[in-house]
Amino acid sequence: MCLMHRKAWPPYLAGIAIGLLQIPTFLLMNTALGASSSFVTVAAHIAAFFDPGIATMKYFASHMYGAKNWWQVAVVVGIAIGAFISMRLSGARRQTISPVWERAMGIRSLGARAPIAFAAGFIMLFGARIAGGCTSGHGISGMAQLSVGSTLAVAAMFAGGILTAMLMKRA
Amino acid sequence: MSLITAVLIGLATGIAFGFALEKSRVFEPGIIVGQMQLRSFIMLKVFLAAVITGLVVLAVLNGIFGVPLQLKPLLLRADIVGGLILGAGIALAGACPGTSMAQLGAGYKDAWFIVLGAIFGAMAYGYFYEPIIALLPEKGDKISFDQLLGLPFWMVALALAAALVVFLVVLERFTPWQDEIGADVDGLAPLPAESPKRMDGTTAARRA
Repeated sequence: MCLMHRKAWPPYLAGIAIGLLQIPTFLLMNTALGASSSFVTVAAHIAAFFDPGIATMKYFASHMYGAKNWWQVAVVVGIAIGAFISMRLSGARRQTISPVWERAMGIRSLGARAPIAFAAGFIMLFGARIAGGCTSGHGISGMAQLSVGSTLAVAAMFAGGILTAMLMKRA
Repeated sequence: MSLITAVLIGLATGIAFGFALEKSRVFEPGIIVGQMQLRSFIMLKVFLAAVITGLVVLAVLNGIFGVPLQLKPLLLRADIVGGLILGAGIALAGACPGTSMAQLGAGYKDAWFIVLGAIFGAMAYGYFYEPIIALLPEKGDKISFDQLLGLPFWMVALALAAALVVFLVVLERFTPWQDEIGADVDGLAPLPAESPKRMDGTTAARRA
């Protein structure tokens, strides 16, 4: 079967493909792979709809304009597109929610899962912005650059994830 | 660089990224929760493979071509506090910011709520920026391990890459990825078999 039509690649192949994306990112964009900043960009523009004072707020303003900010938004949108294409090529259709939630949290429906997913997303990005990066920015990029701060953030990330997962039923 | 060019480069990068995330199944909540429950190590394998590749890529780009690195500052408390909170969110979401978008593309409906929550989380951070940095007041330098060792970046990067390769070879031997991928490639093992029936037709009590 053609590689593109397989349902699952070895993790190493996928990891290498992802790592190679640093080449165009560093050479063309003068930055490293990242994902969480794009959520600030989108959030700022949504907030600007209701709050004209947004552009005067330093943190939001620095994320609202320019090639680098919109590049990352495009990356993150691209991720959704790429995953969709890959899924269609292999036929690995997903259910409404993953069966893991029934095992880990006793949740079977989207209605029950939705508020938890929302809160989880909120916590996730809030933490990411405190740390100034996520598994892409600090993990894949920061550790590849031997950054001490990023290594610390990734260690804390795993610690937080593991401790939280212990509170869930073993899936 | 023009905005259009940046967006096109970003889309191409993202599509490749999302494709790899889907093929590796690392976007699956079952895989991510499995990693955090230390039941499955596919997330670690994808992650370290990407780090190893990045180390080698940057050893070449920075070491031979002088391409500058993009280090983030070391902010002790922010890195630890932020990382812990982020990790908690990842476990509850079964996703990180990037993989939540892959979940969306692959068809999980709860991913829409994760992404929505994430946008509001980012918005909340922006609104509370001043008090938060007042709580965690830090100025950070961009410190890297090669600086601390007083060695060239490419040298330490390649050494770490080699060490991580050895680690992955051993890890794969202990727990092959194909054993962890799950029948529906969602990282979930089948549930224990139904309670056995006794010879007289009665059913043994189901194990807890």
